[in-house]
Amino acid sequence: MILWGSLAGGLVGTIILTSGLRMSQEAGWTRMDLPLLLGTIFSDDRSRASVIGYLTHFVNGLVFSLGYAGIFYAVGRAGWDLGLALGAVHGLFAGGGLVTVLLPAVHPRMGTHWTDAEETPILESPGFLLHNYGRATAVVTFVLHLAYGAIVGAFAAGF
Amino acid sequence: MNRIDGYAPIRDYAAIGDGRTTALVARDGAIDWLCLPDVDSPPVFSRLLDAKRGGSFELQPAEPFEAERAYRPGSNVLTTTFRTASGSVRVTDALTLADRTIASPMRELVRLVEPLDGRVPMRWRARPTFGAERRTRMERRQDRVVAVSGRHAVAVSAWGAGDAEITDTTVGGEFVADGEPAVLTLASAHGEPLVFVAREQAERSLERTDRFWRDWSARADYDGPWREPVVRSALALKLLVYSPSGAIVAAPTTSLPERMGGVRNWDYRYAWLRDATWSLDAMLTLGFHDEAEAFFWWFMHASRRTWPRLSVLYRVDGGVQRGEHEAEGVDGYRGSRPVRYGNGAADQVQLDIYGSVLDAVARFWREGGHIDKDTAKDVAKLADYIAKIWREPDSGIWEARGERRHYTQSKAMCRLALRRAGELAEAGVIPDRREQWEPAESGLREFLDERGWDEGLGSFVRAPELRELDASLLTMSVLECIDPTEERMVQTIDAVRRELAEGPFVYRYRGDDGLPEGEGAFLACSFWLAGSLARAGRVDEATELMDQLVASGNDVGLYAEEIDPETGEFLGNFPQGLTHLALINAAAAIAEASA
Repeated sequence: MILWGSLAGGLVGTIILTSGLRMSQEAGWTRMDLPLLLGTIFSDDRSRASVIGYLTHFVNGLVFSLGYAGIFYAVGRAGWDLGLALGAVHGLFAGGGLVTVLLPAVHPRMGTHWTDAEETPILESPGFLLHNYGRATAVVTFVLHLAYGAIVGAFAAGF
Repeated sequence: MNRIDGYAPIRDYAAIGDGRTTALVARDGAIDWLCLPDVDSPPVFSRLLDAKRGGSFELQPAEPFEAERAYRPGSNVLTTTFRTASGSVRVTDALTLADRTIASPMRELVRLVEPLDGRVPMRWRARPTFGAERRTRMERRQDRVVAVSGRHAVAVSAWGAGDAEITDTTVGGEFVADGEPAVLTLASAHGEPLVFVAREQAERSLERTDRFWRDWSARADYDGPWREPVVRSALALKLLVYSPSGAIVAAPTTSLPERMGGVRNWDYRYAWLRDATWSLDAMLTLGFHDEAEAFFWWFMHASRRTWPRLSVLYRVDGGVQRGEHEAEGVDGYRGSRPVRYGNGAADQVQLDIYGSVLDAVARFWREGGHIDKDTAKDVAKLADYIAKIWREPDSGIWEARGERRHYTQSKAMCRLALRRAGELAEAGVIPDRREQWEPAESGLREFLDERGWDEGLGSFVRAPELRELDASLLTMSVLECIDPTEERMVQTIDAVRRELAEGPFVYRYRGDDGLPEGEGAFLACSFWLAGSLARAGRVDEATELMDQLVASGNDVGLYAEEIDPETGEFLGNFPQGLTHLALINAAAAIAEASA
């Protein structure tokens, strides 16, 4: 139950997370466009990159939900509150390490603090706590990861 | 070179950079301006703005000398040759590009001292500061000296340059240049450990950096007249590109005065959409497609939060610049106060930038740039937005700090925006909403014909309520907002030359702009005049003017924002991207008209 519930929650949570980010963009709170960031690893065509990025993000969302499931098994219980706590860790990791440090390191089209005149990247790096994409980005991303975690936890526990 | 109260003339600086930041090197060998780690960070060397308290990195003969400078051919690596009674010595300066295959400093300045003849006594002294209010601690670590301030640190290393002596705030030494070259480096780290390099690595980095610049400039696809100044301008513009994001700053300095001792002192270490989109045009003219594409992506991404409303300027990291403050306790260049950080123009409405952006998009597409569906939709939204807001007053291209007005140049640029959108729509590149845009375009045409033109003056005017000349009207020819050979444009060119030019140099305007009077002639306007004359078919006049303007650059081919027509003294921030891209544009226009 925990495994399938986590996967179902991962799917729903990723929909909420992606939609929330998109709405935040439209509201002018952030320039964070996760599908674009992920998709441009594979293509520099914005439209194609967005499609690839959405698919990649959903796969990532499911993979992360498996990680949540592993922790639920390990501690012997699941629930929205535990999911919320894991979502907080996940959000901090995403904002503080995954997107800020690891993504620029592996992204072929993204600049870093080290990029110099020899290179012409087409995407700016997110900066510490995603600051470069707008000051509210860290808060928006963190809150949406809390939502993701709570949803995965709730689904895993069968509500 | 004579310093006045400790300040070198702006004309006597040369710029070196690495695509993240830029240092200004004075003719006497002192590095008086360097922001670390990035161009918009606080300065580590700022004697440019405060001769007493600002830090610098001096390196010069310890006896009277004559100095001669040049960039290495096709490079942004600078050489200064000092000649003294005892002999001569060459100093080569570069902000090096990191070799990613080995551990390299986050930022690195290398100064190579090569004796040429005789025995020249030399002295050097570095005084890094990390902002006026921050305390700097100097420490000796093995054979290096490290200056630390919070998360920032710089390491000064010297080989063959005498024993380094340190005080609370400085490190320096003396030596005689008579055999092996000496090497001095300054490496910085910000929130991470310093990387100490060996002398050989520093020397290799300098040569590697020089090779990169030469290879890069060799790609310039331009065989017209004034090739050397055109390529030098491209190299200067490349220094202004902030490589981590692709943004292009207007200039790497803040608060160099537009009038000596005056208040027209602004922070230009931001990416103005207008200047930067014109830079994109210049890069495409010279065949630098990678830089053009990087900038195109940067501005599409940076403007995302406010699209379709555009900010006048952006931080190099893509953020919207907010606020402007005056630095306390900083003397300012030769007493020109206030020294400002941040730029209040960020909050202005400037309608002309929409024309610049759409013109750049169209040019990008014409040159083979790819515009995908999402971008195309965004571009069409921009045209929708202009069609809606063109009737609003704005602050204009000159960022007037008084009341907003209906500037003629702004309206002409709005019209250009809609024309370019129409061309893109007709070609099927963006969604076709020409029927929606047409009423605005005809309204703009009517504005220009009836309110922007003054029959008595025989010229377009600054604004309907300001019936005076404005050199920005020349951009209507440069960007072909109207036919450059049309009689009204030709008359405007003549009127600008008659009323605003002093010799080859053109003032922006003579009227009030809400600030205390007085500034230099605006060099970009002077190049616009040359380009406009060429586009009007008056190639001989354009060529003569261009020769005079090219001769007005400094000894290494760089230009500031403004010039004093009487003394030739440079004014304003330096080196100024707008001036250099206007030079490229004028040279290309004359080359095309001559063909």
